[in-house]
Amino acid sequence: MRFIKLIHKWTSLFVGIQLLLWLVSGFYFNIMDHDKVRGNQFREQIKPAPVLYSNINNTPFIDPKTILAEFEKSQSLKIVLVLDKPYYLLTHQAGLYHHFYNKQTLVNVYSGEEVIIDKKIASNIANQSYNGPGTIQSVTLQKPPIEDIPKEKNIVWQINFKDNVNTSVYINASSGQLIKHSDDDKRFADFFFMLHFMDYASEGSFNNWQIILFSIITLWLVLSGFIWTIELGFKGHYKFSFAMNKNKNLDIKNLPVSHATKK
Amino acid sequence: MTLLKTSRKLHKWLMLFLGIQFVIWSVTGAYMVIFDIDYIHGDSLVTQHQTPIDVNKINISLADIIKKYPDAQNIELAVLIDSPVYRFKTEQKNIMLNASSGEVLSPINEVMAVKLAKHYYSADDDISEIELLTDNPPLEVSKRHLPAYRINFDAFARPSLYINAYSGIVVTKRHEFWRLFDWMFRFHIADYQDGEPDNLLLFWLSILGLFGAITGLVLTYYRVIKNKRKRSNAIY
Repeated sequence: MRFIKLIHKWTSLFVGIQLLLWLVSGFYFNIMDHDKVRGNQFREQIKPAPVLYSNINNTPFIDPKTILAEFEKSQSLKIVLVLDKPYYLLTHQAGLYHHFYNKQTLVNVYSGEEVIIDKKIASNIANQSYNGPGTIQSVTLQKPPIEDIPKEKNIVWQINFKDNVNTSVYINASSGQLIKHSDDDKRFADFFFMLHFMDYASEGSFNNWQIILFSIITLWLVLSGFIWTIELGFKGHYKFSFAMNKNKNLDIKNLPVSHATKK
Repeated sequence: MTLLKTSRKLHKWLMLFLGIQFVIWSVTGAYMVIFDIDYIHGDSLVTQHQTPIDVNKINISLADIIKKYPDAQNIELAVLIDSPVYRFKTEQKNIMLNASSGEVLSPINEVMAVKLAKHYYSADDDISEIELLTDNPPLEVSKRHLPAYRINFDAFARPSLYINAYSGIVVTKRHEFWRLFDWMFRFHIADYQDGEPDNLLLFWLSILGLFGAITGLVLTYYRVIKNKRKRSNAIY
């Protein structure tokens, strides 16, 4: 039993503060506003309009076969909408998920030319997805890692709006597709996720070495405490107050304190 | 009563009721952080082939598609194993057709599903079971992915691939470590109903747990830091 108590004392010293942070952040996840923390307070849900396959002048799309032959080898060609207009999106190298690295090219369906998402197009895409009162304050091209979206592995446009929650809109710089909105409510929650996941290097992951170490030590802390509690139960320390006074002096050597040896 | 005595009493009594929850939190938490999340998500079960479209094999043009299916939307030209295919949506259903021959491939049959599963699966194991799911999906596959074939492999951790019957795409994958992870998460957030962390049980458990931890830290302070200062020879 002495060994159990020693483990409990020293592991509690090591993980104590983090244990408090886990409980506080866990409590926050319980009470937080689950809609607000998505960062979509000013996000307009855009319903895609059906694609017409020729424009007002009756110009048809250039055939996919022609496009595929002209560009770098692709594994898929998709008709996508950017600002309500159709484009071909060529994927040369596909990641398993959208946020993994994807090598893509956007192509004009009528001219067959590559479309570069510039500052102006990026701002327009962001504006279309935004229904808040703010106006655009800054537009910058960013390379990963990006603080707001740590899992993203592609180059993005960050469009910042001037509003009460500092909305940022992220757009994939090669495909023109909206990645997500973020704002101060989401960043506030992200701070607690960072604490809970011990993601102090902002990798967007809870598989870091420090949390693995702390979780193993916490296991020792909790299991030693659990055994201690059971032992206290067997030794009759869990009695209601009227009985406790009586036993106080008798059981002093079993009390979970150093005073037993001191006095 | 002194702070030390109060803390000791509170810690002892709180942990009588919360002890099990702390065991659950630390065991499930350790499981979730120790296993790499990409492994949990079965990313290593599938191969991303990166096969480029062979342009010379395309005989069907976009105009041909629109002529036959005027309401086609979300049109995509992609690769199915090694043949170019068109995928699109019409008002009635999702269609996949061969871009060389024009043959309609959707919905795929069981033979094709097996062929695709073996193509995407990263190892070389035998298939133990195939089932076409059309309604009432199990928890691990979203309803929007139906109809889908579930292909179970006879291997460690019982991996399954789910392949959509219209698109031939692997819509999701599972193995026992992910299935266990989902259970671990539900226990971690003390949710025994809908999988959301905003339940009343967790509210009380975390508030009381916080008191339990604070009182425990007070004890640690007295036991370790104060004792040291007094140069006491107490062991615990």
